[in-house]
Amino acid sequence: MTSATRTLQAADEGRLELEAIVAALSSQYTVFTGPKQCVRRAQLDTFDRRLRAAGLTLEHQRLAAGEMLILRRAGGATTVAVPVTGLQWPALAEVLPTGPLREAIAPVTGIRALMVTSDETRRLRRLELHNQDGKTVARVELDEPASAAAAPARVSVRTLRGYDNQARRAARLLDGLGLHAVQDSEDNEPTLVAPMSRTDREVPASVLLTAALGDFLAAIRKNLPGLLDDVDIEFLHDFRVAVRRTRATLKLGRPALPEVMRSRWEPAFKGLGDMTTPVRDLDVYELDLPTMRGWLVAADPADLEPLAAHLRRRRTAQRRTLERRLRSVSFGRLVTEWEKELAQLADTRDDADQEHLSAGLLADRSISGAYQRVARGGVAISGDSPAEDLHQLRKRCKDLRYALEVFAPVVPEVPRKRAVTDLKGLQDVLGRFQDSEVQRQALRGFAEEMMAAGTSAGTVLAMGELIAHLDAEQHRAREEFDGAFARFARPASQRMMHRLGGRP
Amino acid sequence: MYNIKGGVGKTSTAVNLAYLSAREGRRTLLWDLDPQAAATYLFRVQARVKGGGHALVSRKRPLEAALKATDFDNLDLLPADFSYRNMDLDLDETKKRTRRLGQLLDSVADDYDVVFLDCPPSISLVSENVLHASDTLLVPLIPATLSLRTFEQLIRFVADSQGSRPEVVGFFSMADRRKRMHRDVIDAIPRDGTRVADTVIPALSIIEQMAERRAPVPAFAPTSRAALCYEQLWAEVRPT
Ligand SMILES: Nc1ncnc2c1ncn2[C@@H]1O[C@H](COP(=O)(O)OP(=O)(O)OP(=O)(O)O)[C@@H](O)[C@H]1O
Ligand SMILES: [Mg+2]
Repeated sequence: MTSATRTLQAADEGRLELEAIVAALSSQYTVFTGPKQCVRRAQLDTFDRRLRAAGLTLEHQRLAAGEMLILRRAGGATTVAVPVTGLQWPALAEVLPTGPLREAIAPVTGIRALMVTSDETRRLRRLELHNQDGKTVARVELDEPASAAAAPARVSVRTLRGYDNQARRAARLLDGLGLHAVQDSEDNEPTLVAPMSRTDREVPASVLLTAALGDFLAAIRKNLPGLLDDVDIEFLHDFRVAVRRTRATLKLGRPALPEVMRSRWEPAFKGLGDMTTPVRDLDVYELDLPTMRGWLVAADPADLEPLAAHLRRRRTAQRRTLERRLRSVSFGRLVTEWEKELAQLADTRDDADQEHLSAGLLADRSISGAYQRVARGGVAISGDSPAEDLHQLRKRCKDLRYALEVFAPVVPEVPRKRAVTDLKGLQDVLGRFQDSEVQRQALRGFAEEMMAAGTSAGTVLAMGELIAHLDAEQHRAREEFDGAFARFARPASQRMMHRLGGRP
Repeated sequence: MYNIKGGVGKTSTAVNLAYLSAREGRRTLLWDLDPQAAATYLFRVQARVKGGGHALVSRKRPLEAALKATDFDNLDLLPADFSYRNMDLDLDETKKRTRRLGQLLDSVADDYDVVFLDCPPSISLVSENVLHASDTLLVPLIPATLSLRTFEQLIRFVADSQGSRPEVVGFFSMADRRKRMHRDVIDAIPRDGTRVADTVIPALSIIEQMAERRAPVPAFAPTSRAALCYEQLWAEVRPT
């Protein structure tokens, strides 16, 4: 296995002479010079750089002789190289050949597709350094730019396991040519999400809100291309999260924001959110289908195939509608006008006369208000409360959650995180309750459509089993509600919320 | 790779299958346990381990320090050393004398997906260690009735042994379809109960050429019939 490399380049970042390199190495080795070849190196990662976060790099190398995928671990520990053919990006990890490469990558990328994050063409020449037995004891790679704009030529020595001293020796020979070591360029790329910075509680609330809204707009923009190309389903998900956060921020910010936000932009973003819901719902079904197959007791998993096909068809149709709307003039205008609105908000906020509501004060009011509403709503839930009441409570929980997120920069970090954890437990139970209900109804609707199209009894019966399972799941969630709410409303948790709400 | 008998194709198969495993991207290690060092020679590596087999078995030196990269991506070799001829004695001095090789391999388990052990032809403490350390025991069979008898003995021996047992998989090696006896034996082998691979490795001169080329067959003759046969065999026996 090859491992740690030493990379050198000419002192003036200029050309490297092959003849000089070969001559230097030939004093100690039989140098076998491979042909000069063009290599396209495409770096792959998910949109949110999951591989990089896991300390992995994946390169798709295309040479005339064939294509390779090369996985490297941080620190140059081990390298896996696998020949491949006909891979196109973006694609999910499931297109990778079975074996250790896929096993290392698939769990990291999950539902996110691999896409090309950078792509360059280089001219490459490989030298093998042989000993008297004709054994390769080190490799040298001469890597030159194919265009003037690209990174300068470099030569690297690859160490072969068990032959470290030979690589060192080869590197010393090259040092004699006046080359010097290159630091492997770590990550120059900016991180995707700027860490939330602490903000002074005294800044005007509108400043904090405008900054948050700007971030969400950036997220909407960033996810749009991948969403339009249907690269993977997370683009839509993240797009929707940004829209939802925008809506929540507008709502929480009402006391500090101009009227136009309420009259124009709240409905506009609601419309945008609603527009994306049908596709997201279908994405979720598709994602859940493998789990659902596992629920079947009497029916055969194959009985659900027509359902899968039905969902795919519906998704195709819904996506077409969504794409059309997202490519429309009116959506484009919505985005540019929203951007202008935010810019204007940023400009006018110094106006002296405007009622000065500090970010800290608005945070306290919003969090305590949202908390009170959840607490009251939860207490009112009894054994015979209708499902609708639980649904309402779930919405209030979401409001509180958003308040805790939006105002994160101005509230104490530790109690905020604990509060989120407590709230998550409750949200989880309410979410399961509600989702079971919604999915049951949806399955019923699908069954009717499919029966009208002449689906088999076996399929309908299998879907009946799914509905029964969802029903049981909903009951379970209902039973867990009291416990989850009690944990949420326990005295320690109340004290914490009061602290966050600005009370002693 | 195991057979009591010598010259049945253990080393040739180990080298070729290890190469194919690595070519698929599996991080692969081949340990040449035979002091005669045939596999080591085929990979052009020096048959020398610092401190010899004794240092490895007694853990004076970590296995890792003895590893050598071959000329092929993902494929490393643990070379043979002439001192391996005394490995039985070295093993005998350790606490768990029949499990020691397995313990040693655990130390590099994170670095490899597949490990091949190329055994010397004998029944010994080394072979008993190999038996315990392996998930699969690949046994080359020359299509002759006598070789089948030793195969059956081996299966019984494995079945009677304590603790974790490898799956025993036989395959016909150096088969010559022109020979009547070879044909009869291959066709008559009971394939129930004992696992015998469908792929047969015929007697082919290109396989003998490995000794001059000092490389695996699929590396120097990728489209040869021999390379195809090894690919088929690997597809049958590789870990899923
Ligand atoms: N399928 C085959 N066709 C022709 N020759 C073969 C074949 N397989 C192996 N050989 C040749 O037979 C000889 C012995 O093969 P090999 O070294 O692989 O067997 P082995 O079982 O490892 O032997 P040993 O017991 O000595 O370790 C070698 O010269 C090899 O080239
Ligand atoms: Mg041998």
